[in-house]
Amino acid sequence: MNTYNPITALAVFFALSILAYLLFRPNKGWFWLIKNSSVSNDKIVVEDVLKLLYHNENADKHLNVNDIIRTLKYNDKLILECINRMSDHALISIQGDSVKLTKSGSDYALRIVRAHRLWEKFLAEKTGFKESEWHERAERMEHELSKVEADILSSQLGNPQFDPHGDPIPTNTGKIAKVKGIPVSELPIGTIGRIIHIKDKPEIIYKQILAENIHIGSVIRIMEKTPARIEFHSEGEAFVLAPIMAGNITVSVLEKDVVFEENLARLSILKENETAKIIGISKEIRGDSRRRLLDLGFVKGAEVKIDLLNPLGDPKAFLIKGTSIALRQNQASKILIQKD
Amino acid sequence: MNTNKIDHIIALSNDLRWQIGDEFHDNLAEGIYADAAEIVKGAVRKKDEKGTFRIDAKIDKIITSKVWGFPLMFVILAVVLWMTIVGANYPSAMLSGLLLDTIHPALKGFASNIGMPWWLDGFLIDGVYLAVAWVIAVMLPPMAIFFPLFTLLEDFGYLPRVAFNLDHLFKLSGAHGKQALTMSMGFGCNAAGIVATRIIDSPRERLIAIITNNFSLCNGRWPTQILIATIFVGALVPATYSGIMSLAAVIGIAVLGMVFMFLVSWGLSKTVLKGEVSTFNLELPPYRPPRFWKTIYTSIIDRTLIVLWRAIVFAAPAGAVIWLISNIYLGDDSIAAWLIDSLDGFGFLLGLNGVILVAYIVAIPANEIVIPTILMLTVLVTGISAGEGAGVMFELDSVTATGDILRAGGWTLLTAINLMLFSLLHNPCSTTIYTIYKETKSVKWTTVASVLPVILGFVVTFLVAQIWRLLA
Repeated sequence: MNTYNPITALAVFFALSILAYLLFRPNKGWFWLIKNSSVSNDKIVVEDVLKLLYHNENADKHLNVNDIIRTLKYNDKLILECINRMSDHALISIQGDSVKLTKSGSDYALRIVRAHRLWEKFLAEKTGFKESEWHERAERMEHELSKVEADILSSQLGNPQFDPHGDPIPTNTGKIAKVKGIPVSELPIGTIGRIIHIKDKPEIIYKQILAENIHIGSVIRIMEKTPARIEFHSEGEAFVLAPIMAGNITVSVLEKDVVFEENLARLSILKENETAKIIGISKEIRGDSRRRLLDLGFVKGAEVKIDLLNPLGDPKAFLIKGTSIALRQNQASKILIQKD
Repeated sequence: MNTNKIDHIIALSNDLRWQIGDEFHDNLAEGIYADAAEIVKGAVRKKDEKGTFRIDAKIDKIITSKVWGFPLMFVILAVVLWMTIVGANYPSAMLSGLLLDTIHPALKGFASNIGMPWWLDGFLIDGVYLAVAWVIAVMLPPMAIFFPLFTLLEDFGYLPRVAFNLDHLFKLSGAHGKQALTMSMGFGCNAAGIVATRIIDSPRERLIAIITNNFSLCNGRWPTQILIATIFVGALVPATYSGIMSLAAVIGIAVLGMVFMFLVSWGLSKTVLKGEVSTFNLELPPYRPPRFWKTIYTSIIDRTLIVLWRAIVFAAPAGAVIWLISNIYLGDDSIAAWLIDSLDGFGFLLGLNGVILVAYIVAIPANEIVIPTILMLTVLVTGISAGEGAGVMFELDSVTATGDILRAGGWTLLTAINLMLFSLLHNPCSTTIYTIYKETKSVKWTTVASVLPVILGFVVTFLVAQIWRLLA
């Protein structure tokens, strides 16, 4: 009844599969590209210009139109058009060569910054996206959150003060907390401090810092300092950084009487028949996972030992507070212990 | 209080929050836990539990040992499945003897005595009643055996150890070790397996477990697999080996289901579920003697009857639809015949046929009624003399006779293999779909879980059919 060639059918099938792949593959699929470009570009360009001006004015740098065109990766004509329109709406004032934010322009910029940092905080606390993806996702989301939505998000997150990189989140009235800290590269040997900020720009350095597993909130102690390298200890591990990386990490210096726990180890290296005391959970574990571990009894001072090894090596079961709890290697490596 | 004061207080609280900083919450929680632990240490005295502990440790050493851990697991799973599939045959035969062979004719007799019109009698008794009775007869016994056995193992404390042993494999595909349990539960019933995913407390891993549960061959599909494998695959080899051959084919399909489960889990965790929160931990409770009667009672009430009730609710309208499409005529042909005719081309492309596709569409409430529907529809379109009339589902006691009907319907070995594949890879039954919605409360994930397997089914059967035809 049916006469057809299986090869033709297969060819049609593979052609369709390739087409579907080209259309819908993550990020670069044509469907997503078309969908993204159909969103009004003007708004995004205007907001990006405002943000650029805001960040530079904070660093006391003043930009001219050419700087803006060079920095932003949009069509030159589009940027020019937007700058003209912004000046018409009194968001910016162009005086001679330099472009400056007006009061309303800087308010607008603050709102974008607020949306961006709130979204990063949201991604860190409530989702499973990787740290290296937060910035990029927030760059897209900042243009979509309205003022009201940002306020709702903020109250859901408990009105956070800082984003996960340690940057202050402006309040809805435009107030900004001050970051008081010193870059790691400028600290004298022996200083104990808590990491309060990691710059997320430039991205290459930021990703290198993340790859080293250095996190906001960790307490560090500077051990060695030469022009070529800086060594510090944190959460039981030694880190060696180039000064350019260390310069992007800001620390608030702690009082002298703070006890810095040396001899720290990770739960993952505990062996059978050894016992240890829990010192804390690395700041890398946040949100739900952190709460869960606390619920299970992984709190400061608790005794822990290995209960069961796994035939496949991972996870291991730990005996804590009389209960046997299995944790995976990557979790156990974030629980700080002191061996007895 | 006047509003001024309230505003002042709110402003003050905002200011204070500003001053104490973000870490406050964390530190407070940690402080409370640590204090509580200190108090417990000083106040609570425990009896010396070393005695029981040593037995636990011994059992654990065997169950999680490199040598015995995995073989023991497979043996226990195989025994449970064997007891379910073989053991369910007897009560199933009794129930179907009662519901299908005794009550059904009795109802028909009663209807003709009181002079019920043929269409009402057909619609109610041959349609609605028969579908419901069928679902009860084939669904209830396996579930009533499987779930109590499973719950006993759970109660004893064995199942958490299985999750512990297998976690590493599941981690590689981005899933949770407890998915091993929900997957095994899915061998009994996917809807129950999906309810069981509540034990997975990490949101992402739970969604993965829900979406991939359908790849566990459920009780409703084992008999289909066994029947088709016996008729077509077993016949490939000499009679002495045919039993082993068909068994191997069925196990092959079940293992293929697990492979798909791992692959799809991996794919989901890398793409659409990337942003969901993931937390892992697994409590290994101490062993304890299972509370036998309590377990039997709760597993029958909680799992078996709830699932059965949902299945009945969906089976009744399906029975009506099956009867109606076979008895309502558009022009010269019944709706069923029109549907079969229009889907035949697509079915052929997939190495199946129109009858199978129509059967899978109308038998969406329960996989149990797929084979009876296929038989009825095959008889309807081929016009051979068997069965009990248009719209009346039936099954034959003799496997050979069933095979004869199917071959008369144009079935080949390819059709049989692709039916087995499609039975594994198609949309979940409506009971399961409804349960997915109840558990996820999300139309999006319900749609993904329903559509994804059927697309996979189309792709796999299509590829198998083309390659088969190229080689044949």
